[in-house]
Amino acid sequence: METTPAIPLIWYQVLAAILFTIGVVGVLVRRSALIIFMSIELMLNAVNLSLIAFSRQNGTMDGHILVFFVMAVAAAEVSIGLAIIVAIFRNRETASVDDVHLLKG
Amino acid sequence: MVEGFLFAMFAGVAVGCALGVVFHRNPVHCALLLVGVLLSLAGIFVMLHAQFVAALQVIVYAGAIMVLFLFVVMLLNIKGESPLLSPGAAKGFGFLFALLVCVELFWTVVQPGGQEGVMPEAAPLAHDFGSPAALGKLLYTTWLYPFEITSILLLVAVVGAVVLAKRKFF
Amino acid sequence: MDLGFLIEALVKILIVLGFVLLGVPLIVWMERKVLGHMQDRIGPQRVGPFGLLQTIADGMKLFFKEDLVPAQADKVVFAIAPAIAVVTALAAATVIPFGDQVHLFGRDIQLHITDVNIAILFLLGATSMGVYGVVLGGWASNSKYPLLGGLRASAQMISYELAMGVSLVPIILMTGSLSLAQIGRAQEHLWFVVPQFVAFVIYLVCAVAETNRAPFDLAEAETELVAGFHTEFSSMRFALYFLSEYANMMVVSGVAITCFLGAWYGPVLPGPVWFLIKLSLFLFFYVWLRATFPRLRYDQLMGLGWKVLLPVALLNLAVTAVVLTVRG
Repeated sequence: METTPAIPLIWYQVLAAILFTIGVVGVLVRRSALIIFMSIELMLNAVNLSLIAFSRQNGTMDGHILVFFVMAVAAAEVSIGLAIIVAIFRNRETASVDDVHLLKG
Repeated sequence: MVEGFLFAMFAGVAVGCALGVVFHRNPVHCALLLVGVLLSLAGIFVMLHAQFVAALQVIVYAGAIMVLFLFVVMLLNIKGESPLLSPGAAKGFGFLFALLVCVELFWTVVQPGGQEGVMPEAAPLAHDFGSPAALGKLLYTTWLYPFEITSILLLVAVVGAVVLAKRKFF
Repeated sequence: MDLGFLIEALVKILIVLGFVLLGVPLIVWMERKVLGHMQDRIGPQRVGPFGLLQTIADGMKLFFKEDLVPAQADKVVFAIAPAIAVVTALAAATVIPFGDQVHLFGRDIQLHITDVNIAILFLLGATSMGVYGVVLGGWASNSKYPLLGGLRASAQMISYELAMGVSLVPIILMTGSLSLAQIGRAQEHLWFVVPQFVAFVIYLVCAVAETNRAPFDLAEAETELVAGFHTEFSSMRFALYFLSEYANMMVVSGVAITCFLGAWYGPVLPGPVWFLIKLSLFLFFYVWLRATFPRLRYDQLMGLGWKVLLPVALLNLAVTAVVLTVRG
């Protein structure tokens, strides 16, 4: 394995930062619950990229293990989140987070 | 040189698809663009010698989780909402906050100078770095406890999803 | 990365691609002939000797058909769905070894396009991505029956993927490697079908279900749901789906041969010839299944995958792991 990677590892962190920011924009600005969910997945993937890049940096595989757990937890979270969205949609016929304000004072 | 070209291609596709996910109207198109992001990230993982994680990304994330997303969108027949973005002040605050997050991340990542600001030399990699065998050795020894807890978490998620999505009990 | 390596890779790609693309008409002809004889009739016999040119004639007919796109269909997704199906099927064919090393032109040439050291995971990934070809085709047609057929077919495919993956894990345990070339080489003296017969049967059933073939073809059979997810596709788009189905059959048979049936090992003939013979026998078995069994109802199909195959595969994995540990 080569010791100096051809791409400086800082660039992977910059890419992860950009993807994370785009995910944040999606969560804060879109109104559809599904798209907000997808933006959260985008943020999780940006974090995965950052972890893998740092793991390559340090030469240990702990980053890979953490990414493994992030993927498992993301799978669990997506299934529960989508079940909740399905339940809400069945009741209210809408998937927009602006219309689900029953607890508003 | 080849690596530079590959990285530019994967990064460009990832950022382009990510922007498409956030700003597209049709939810099915957003889901497909997210699959594009996941696949280009898998390519970048392979470049970083993380081949097992790249395979997991394709099989689990792009191949199962996104299919679940697509199923929900198609079954509920969710259409694009209009207007696309939150009205008024919420939209402005959202972009501002995202800009703050972006600036902060760049600041921590890019700034030079000082012991903490400079990334050290890339460490030499073991022969089987990123292979399933090495990951397995680590997973079942040092990280055994989180592994078992994650399996219970997945069981809880399965039961929860079935209960939440049922129409009526018995 | 010298010129020799590039030429070698290019030639291997052309050989495998040509084999898959030209093999599909042959498989279709064989299927129609064998189905015909099993149903006490002759099958195609007029176009060319023994009806060999029938598939070519059908291909030409498909080529000249009108290419309809439904009115409210999503044009972009409608266009890329068959392409995804074909690309994933062909991508999976790159890691299947069809022989051991040969020594030609002063180079040691491995008889597979690339030896990825996570080849089995790569195959599972390609199969997972193949689900998109089906579900997107069904959705992009903007029509009831294709949507239902596409959702059913993709739910079936992702369910049987699990049992298929788990049934391959004992093989990985026995060889200690995920690479298909190594798994093939490990069967020089004993084919893995002998110790892992249960895994072989499970893999067989899952392979038939994965490729949406009879008796698991509820989602695309003509008497159900019109024609399932590929109802609205005509002309070359339909030809691409057709091609992807048979290419998937070849890939899945290739994996079964490499993992269970001794890859390219056999008494007298060279490796690739034995691979071809075993592949033909496997594909004949596919057609035999189609001629023999009635179609499974959808709930029976899903019940079989989740309640029978997956637990048995997990049990087989546990037993294999215990036996291997006890043996040392």
